[in-house]
Amino acid sequence: MKMLRRALVALSLAGAIAATLRVKGKGGVPPQEGGWREVSVPPR
Amino acid sequence: MTDSEPHRPIVGVVGCGVTGSRVVAHLAAEGVRVAVYDDAHSVASAAARRVKGIVLDRLDELTACDVVVLCQPGPHADLAGLLIDERTTVVSVGGDLDDTRALLDLHDRAVLAHVPLVVGAGMAPGLSGLLARYLSGQLHTVDELHVAIHGTAGPACARQHHVALGQAALGWHDGEWIEPPGGSGRDLVWFPEPVHAHDCYRAALVDPLLLHRSFPSALRITARVSATRRDRLTARLPMLAPPHATGDLGAVRVEVRGAGPDGARLTVIAGSAAPTADLTAAVAAATTTQITCLGLEPGAHSLADSSMAALDLLHHATRLGAKVQEYTGVGRATGW
Repeated sequence: MKMLRRALVALSLAGAIAATLRVKGKGGVPPQEGGWREVSVPPR
Repeated sequence: MTDSEPHRPIVGVVGCGVTGSRVVAHLAAEGVRVAVYDDAHSVASAAARRVKGIVLDRLDELTACDVVVLCQPGPHADLAGLLIDERTTVVSVGGDLDDTRALLDLHDRAVLAHVPLVVGAGMAPGLSGLLARYLSGQLHTVDELHVAIHGTAGPACARQHHVALGQAALGWHDGEWIEPPGGSGRDLVWFPEPVHAHDCYRAALVDPLLLHRSFPSALRITARVSATRRDRLTARLPMLAPPHATGDLGAVRVEVRGAGPDGARLTVIAGSAAPTADLTAAVAAATTTQITCLGLEPGAHSLADSSMAALDLLHHATRLGAKVQEYTGVGRATGW
């Protein structure tokens, strides 16, 4: 019973921390622009 | 060999496989007279017939040519030495590290014979050096050069890549040569369209050796090749599966890091993607035709050398089908 309570407390804490990071975090988004474009190489 | 048109140069091509046959086609389309040699006489005959070229029965007949392009499986150094002694210009598409060192050692003989020797005139080395030189023009100083390659041309090229992955790699790191194990140093590289992303690893590749000659002030130079888990696992064994008979889609990506005129750190990236044999043949043919037209000072050269700039090789390689792509996603600040 004591083990179960400890597990529940640990899970609750982990959930609370994850929720805080999810809401308050500033992860941003990966770059959405850029890529390869063909370029012409004119004669020198 | 009859010489009915004395004013048109004759180019000899040794090896008429996947790459050599394409080189022959490019040269003929450029109006160059072509003489071909292959250990398999029927292969040489077929390549010559398509372009109304000449078939050579013996290697010593190559000395009648103005320029000889070596497209056969390596090593190239022994034949290149013999041709140089006969005052014949040589262009090698080889990419084996030991063979390239032996070719570079022919520099003094080439100077003595008063003929140029071009080393590594393929995709990588070759196009990689042209791209490095092109990108360096966008920077004030060049600090780092990083090359990645994907794909192989003919079966001999595939075997060479397989061996290279199992040998000690070569890199220039903060002023000294390092030889990390082949197959180490995984790096996810995003190649030009349509090749996309592949894991690349260190291998016994030639580019650091040649790029260090061309950019002696660069602090770090690396080269990596794409490989799968099976490639890495079996790199020290004989090839378990036969290579592609006609080669496959290839790509080269060159990243140059340095400083702009105002000291700001800059990274510029360019690459090219197409069937590997097509890229190799375009570079080799462009190099050969430009040398026949404009000449080149005696001695050993690689395509990234400043001595090659007057030949304008990147422009002529693109004209023959090696399209250049630049990456436009760098240098943009993000909150990532």
